[in-house]
Amino acid sequence: MDARVNKRTPLYSEHVKAGAKIVSFAGFFMPLYYKSIIEEHLNVRNDSGIFDISHMGEIIIKGRDASSFVDYVFTADVSKIKDGEIIYSLILNEKGGIIDDVTVFKFSDSDYMAVVNAANTPKDFSWMHYQQIEFQKAGNNVTVENISETVGLLSVQGPKSRDLIYSLASDAVDIGKCGLFDFKFGAKPVKELKHFEFSCAVFKDINVEALISRSGYTGEFGFEIFVSAEKTVVLWNYLLKNSRLSNLIPIGLGARDTLRFEAALPLYGHELDETINPYDAGLEKYLSTTKNFIGKEALSDIKNKEKRLIFFKLSGKQIPRHLQRILDKNLKPIGCIASGTYSPSNKFPIGSAYLSDTDIDPLFLKDFFIDIRGNFEKAEVVVPPFHRNFKRS
Amino acid sequence: MAINGEFYFAKSHEWISKNADDKFYIGISDFAQSELGDVVYVSFPEVGKVYEKGDKIGEIESVKSVSEIYAPVSLKIISVNSKLNDNPELINRQPYDAGFVAEAEVSDSSDVDGLMDKNAYESFITSIHE
Repeated sequence: MDARVNKRTPLYSEHVKAGAKIVSFAGFFMPLYYKSIIEEHLNVRNDSGIFDISHMGEIIIKGRDASSFVDYVFTADVSKIKDGEIIYSLILNEKGGIIDDVTVFKFSDSDYMAVVNAANTPKDFSWMHYQQIEFQKAGNNVTVENISETVGLLSVQGPKSRDLIYSLASDAVDIGKCGLFDFKFGAKPVKELKHFEFSCAVFKDINVEALISRSGYTGEFGFEIFVSAEKTVVLWNYLLKNSRLSNLIPIGLGARDTLRFEAALPLYGHELDETINPYDAGLEKYLSTTKNFIGKEALSDIKNKEKRLIFFKLSGKQIPRHLQRILDKNLKPIGCIASGTYSPSNKFPIGSAYLSDTDIDPLFLKDFFIDIRGNFEKAEVVVPPFHRNFKRS
Repeated sequence: MAINGEFYFAKSHEWISKNADDKFYIGISDFAQSELGDVVYVSFPEVGKVYEKGDKIGEIESVKSVSEIYAPVSLKIISVNSKLNDNPELINRQPYDAGFVAEAEVSDSSDVDGLMDKNAYESFITSIHE
């Protein structure tokens, strides 16, 4: 760990006070777990949990031509969504490699926010800033601004998270300013928000306004709350003080990873990177067919997938880890692990891998092995999500 | 069960404890288990095999990481704690008792005296944590 480069989120001291095991992640000191990854994971699947994800980046895209800009920089049909809606998208380089996967929030045709992976915030912002200059040269009006340091981001996830949020979050009375954000559209009541919609919530007891979205990274019903950095601690402690409403506990990055992986949600640096194209990752549905975007031309030359992403479970107990090899029944290497972990919902090890031979049909892939430090562990292809049959306790 | 002898620690965070019946138990320290987090798998040393001090005798795997177990002194493995196969979390819950890793014979018990006692180990942890 290098204290000179690692940043702290506004909640760092709260995590330390709570006894969290702190690790360095994406340039931040973050809680890996407070007590136990497995207990935290199951608490989210059964009840609810709150995550500090303030390390994630927020980039504002504004201006008369913001809609053409987001349509060019992002692969999905971003400008077509309604004000108050969110869309998942990729950012590609000119070769079609994945620079990042992001969610984009639309405030209006001239005002968007991209929420980006913490490790990629500087890279994404430089990329978007470069594109902004090119756009401006062509006479367009658009600016991008990295507001990550001014924003705290909390995620409240789990089937009971609604009991907490619906009790504590009131609706904003006036359309207009909402904490750090300007709403020019009529924000929906919090209780009416559907998946990938956002609005303004007022936490009256503590006099805090925040942008609230129905979104998350766990495969559960949940919310993400964007609040000013100064009010993040107050909101975090207020929600935890009311923990009885949903059996809320703080959740570290360890369970964030096991939860997202059971739901088969990709993680940049594991399932995605600049050497992987959207077809390899099975994300072609996020590529617009009706507009041009950076990387589209290169993708049109990619006739076949270069790799194929599969998901699997192991019959043994050892955990597969990133970059370990997959072997076929003759012990010939056929690919590499993207993510591997223990599934707390199933109590067995699970993983994802890129097969380098795209002629292999995963459905017919039988008798293959993971080379775990010289032990060849038998694996079996699984269609995710992994937590589908989880019985809530 | 109750392991009732004195505990002695290696710098690699294993403990060894001599009991009334002259058997030695070995395991990993409370500090080691808390650093690893939820243990999900233990690979055991070979029963009957003699290991030299510092030899790798097994692995403990948690959700996030994997860590090797080293012989704290030269020893011969008598049996392993097979309860850990189905309940690896015993290492987290009772690292000094039901979460022991193996039972061993130690030919030269003066080796154990060369390890850290509880107080020395606690100062050692404080020193590496700073």
